[in-house]
Amino acid sequence: MSAVDKTPGDFMQCSSESINYYGNKPTEQVEDREKKLRPTERADKARDMYFWAKSSVSMEFPYWYTRRWEELDGEIPIIRRAESLKAGFEHLSPVIYPGELLSMGKAAYLRGSYPMPWLSEAFFMAAEDKLYKEALESGKLTADTFTTVGKGGGNVTASVGKVISIAGKFGLRLEEMPVMLEVAKKWKDRSVDDIGHKYEQMVPAYKEKEAIMRSVICMFDSGYTLPQGREVINYYYPLQYGIDGIIRMCEDGINEVAGYPEMDRLYFYQAVITMLQGIRSWIRNYAKEAGFLASLEKEGKQKTEYLEMAERLEHISSNPPRNFHDALQMLWIFHAAVLNEDAISGLSPGRVGQVLYPWWKRDMDRGLIDRAKTIELLECMRIKFTEIDCFASMGVVGGVLSGNTFNNLAVGGLNKDGTSAANDLEMLILETGISCETPQPTLSLLYDEKLPEEFLLKGIECTKAGAGYPAWVNNQVAMEFLLNNYGHEGMQMEEARAWAIGGCLESSPGSWMPLNLDGEIHWIPGGSAPATSVGVHFLSLPKILETVIFDGVDMRTGERIFPSHGYKLETYDELWQGFRDYFSRAVHVLTLTNNIQHDAWRKISPSLINSMLKPDCLEKGRDIGQMGSRFNTTFNVESCGNTTLVNSLASLKKNVYDEKNFGLDDYRKAILDNFGYHTAQETGSYSLVDQKPNENHSLYRKIHRQSLDAPKFGNDDPYVDAIFKQWEDWFCEMTHNYRSLYDQPMYACQISVSTHGPMGAVTMASTDGRLSGTTFSDGSVSAYPGTDKHGPYALFSSATCWNHSQSQNSQLNMKIHPSVVKGREGSRKFLELIRSYMRKGGFHVQFNIVDSRMLKQAQSDPDKFRSLLVRVAGFTQYWVELGKQIQDEVIARTEYEEL
Amino acid sequence: MSTCSDCKFYLPVDVFKGICKLSRKDILPDDAFCNKAEKTAKCKFCSNYTPDKEFLGKCMSSTLAYPDMNAASCVDFKWISQN
Repeated sequence: MSAVDKTPGDFMQCSSESINYYGNKPTEQVEDREKKLRPTERADKARDMYFWAKSSVSMEFPYWYTRRWEELDGEIPIIRRAESLKAGFEHLSPVIYPGELLSMGKAAYLRGSYPMPWLSEAFFMAAEDKLYKEALESGKLTADTFTTVGKGGGNVTASVGKVISIAGKFGLRLEEMPVMLEVAKKWKDRSVDDIGHKYEQMVPAYKEKEAIMRSVICMFDSGYTLPQGREVINYYYPLQYGIDGIIRMCEDGINEVAGYPEMDRLYFYQAVITMLQGIRSWIRNYAKEAGFLASLEKEGKQKTEYLEMAERLEHISSNPPRNFHDALQMLWIFHAAVLNEDAISGLSPGRVGQVLYPWWKRDMDRGLIDRAKTIELLECMRIKFTEIDCFASMGVVGGVLSGNTFNNLAVGGLNKDGTSAANDLEMLILETGISCETPQPTLSLLYDEKLPEEFLLKGIECTKAGAGYPAWVNNQVAMEFLLNNYGHEGMQMEEARAWAIGGCLESSPGSWMPLNLDGEIHWIPGGSAPATSVGVHFLSLPKILETVIFDGVDMRTGERIFPSHGYKLETYDELWQGFRDYFSRAVHVLTLTNNIQHDAWRKISPSLINSMLKPDCLEKGRDIGQMGSRFNTTFNVESCGNTTLVNSLASLKKNVYDEKNFGLDDYRKAILDNFGYHTAQETGSYSLVDQKPNENHSLYRKIHRQSLDAPKFGNDDPYVDAIFKQWEDWFCEMTHNYRSLYDQPMYACQISVSTHGPMGAVTMASTDGRLSGTTFSDGSVSAYPGTDKHGPYALFSSATCWNHSQSQNSQLNMKIHPSVVKGREGSRKFLELIRSYMRKGGFHVQFNIVDSRMLKQAQSDPDKFRSLLVRVAGFTQYWVELGKQIQDEVIARTEYEEL
Repeated sequence: MSTCSDCKFYLPVDVFKGICKLSRKDILPDDAFCNKAEKTAKCKFCSNYTPDKEFLGKCMSSTLAYPDMNAASCVDFKWISQN
């Protein structure tokens, strides 16, 4: 093979199948995962129905919401909002599927959702519509253009017959299209998006913000896209008091505050009552439907189940739950209800096994439930959470979420008194994660040295099963982060222990709530802060470095993004300063514009359901937008492409500044010419190892080779790890200089989710040898695929070269061949591996236990792999529902053949 | 002509298909009514509904409405007399 024919994979000594291995390449047949458990027959049927169903949207809720909103023109906004939500809930058609033990859902389809034009209306308008064109011009939709959405599974990727495809994922009946457009137009200049946009333009550097969005240096706006989520819900109030009990609390509140100063409390209490009346009607409509379905059945099991469902729903439409089944149904109802008040991703159920334990233990002790019935119910819960869809733009739903909704259930951690919180119900939650593999709820194990070995080994068994969960997160590191950032709001150690993961990997504050069951107090954990991961959404670090090298210009489009930095870049320090300048400019303007968007959100579309659930909103009479929550320091700055940035800086430091092998102009030329390769868009693959050289390759062979050979993060190499630490220390500190809407300091958040795909797609070649359009490194402390050559422990040393408690999170994704962790011995070895990372201070690690060759097979023959699950970055998703950018990146990750 | 999606026994699974609550069989929303079908409350079957443009109309002569909306929980729903 001549040099000109060589691919980057050849240089990186990648296998002939374009797979990166650490250790010996497997020679045997493609190996499946070890542990196989079957779900119960009921869950199996429900999952099959899920596989059969397509993502579908309906207009019932937005129609009634908008109709009521218009009727109440001039009313106090929070009352208007409550009445609109009530109208939406009251008119949702109930749909109950055969065999369900838990019922209700977001909308009248199995994977149902709907547009929320009161948040944003432009992205689902027809492409020729003026609104859409305006949104495109302002850079709001640029990320959509470079996002690939999965072509299989439940996505409706193209319009067909009487079904219209929206955002490449959702199907809408043709007969509902005109009303969708009419309703959307009613929100023009009135939606959170439009009002926010009107005022964000008053920020002096606004034009720079638009340029940043068009260049996809920032992935998307915050305040109108997914204004809530990445947080832990709190189910305490409905579980303890029931709906009628909460209404009585609000009536008492009204009696206390009516006519007194701080009158907003009066409106808040009245709004909660109104909203709860809507939810009560929604539940009763389902109860009625269950009764109707029972009337169609002959005597038998299904009829009995419908009748029991009708009775259960009727009961909890007013009252607290009586048993575990009631409690689980109520938990699900309020989860779905919150998801219906806003476009939300990452509404995490939190420590469900600890919240529901008092009911479950009592039922077990009384012989009212057994292990088999518990497993069946927990599997039904997995299916329900998996049915959740979030209607959002292609850039958000594909480029960020990959169709996932990030409902993260946490197990483990510590109790209020500092003892292990793991319990038998959580063992069954892990068990059903194995038997009923589904993307939702994903699981996180809050690792603490105090957790029993049996529990940790159950977690290993679940991770080995291959669905990518539980992710392993460090309890002590998270508590340190929370105490550092929420201490000024009164958080102390005891309360820090109530935390859980919100969304894919956002450490979120919690509180202990006193559940009184039969006179005994049980302290149950739940979320006590509003949305995290609001603020500055995903800054592309490699793209910012690209603009530094080209003095502020995006060379893909030729548009100037930042003013000239004025540095000659003759030293590495100047380069680093240039990067910090541009990064700071981006954070500054995006913080201000997003604060305005969130202000529009809290004024036009305040949260009512989620507010009611969060301590201490009911006590204070304030919603979360008015800082009613116990903790409010939740805005953050998110990064993407950490390792690609650091590897690029290391290459420049070595090749330009230390060894002077090349000049910066040599790199500029090489970047513009993509090192003599075709672009990823041209090759149709987004993985570096698949890229093909063009006729200019020989001109850049040397510089490309030396760029690929420059020190790479993940090998315990002090040269590059020092650069990584310098970046982390600076980034985590600088974010505190920016203030959120709630006048709280912001903090760093380091997760890539799926953004490393589309953000890589718009970024030219980088100085580490990565080629134009290919995906960035995943996570935040993952090695770039194929560059971690010294094994997992070297990777761990690099990843922990900085203090992870400075940041809301860090993210390490690893891929291990199933044979490496096989059997009991493999489990022990696997647990020791994870334990060693946690003991070094690593915050998070998650695994794909998979033979990469199977992923290649699945890519070429997706129909055979409909149920194959993989871990991406903080979430598990069906392979066929992932876009190609992310599929290629997961395949390219280094596969460990030995530990 | 009424179709399965107009029937009170139609259980929608997604925008393409559903299940018959009586027979438990898979059906399509645009399949023709069978002999057991019964109309469900929809705006297009309501005396308060006036058609306007294609797939659009008015509720009580003033408010935007659309013919295929489920009106089972609408307090103002009144069957058109011939139904």
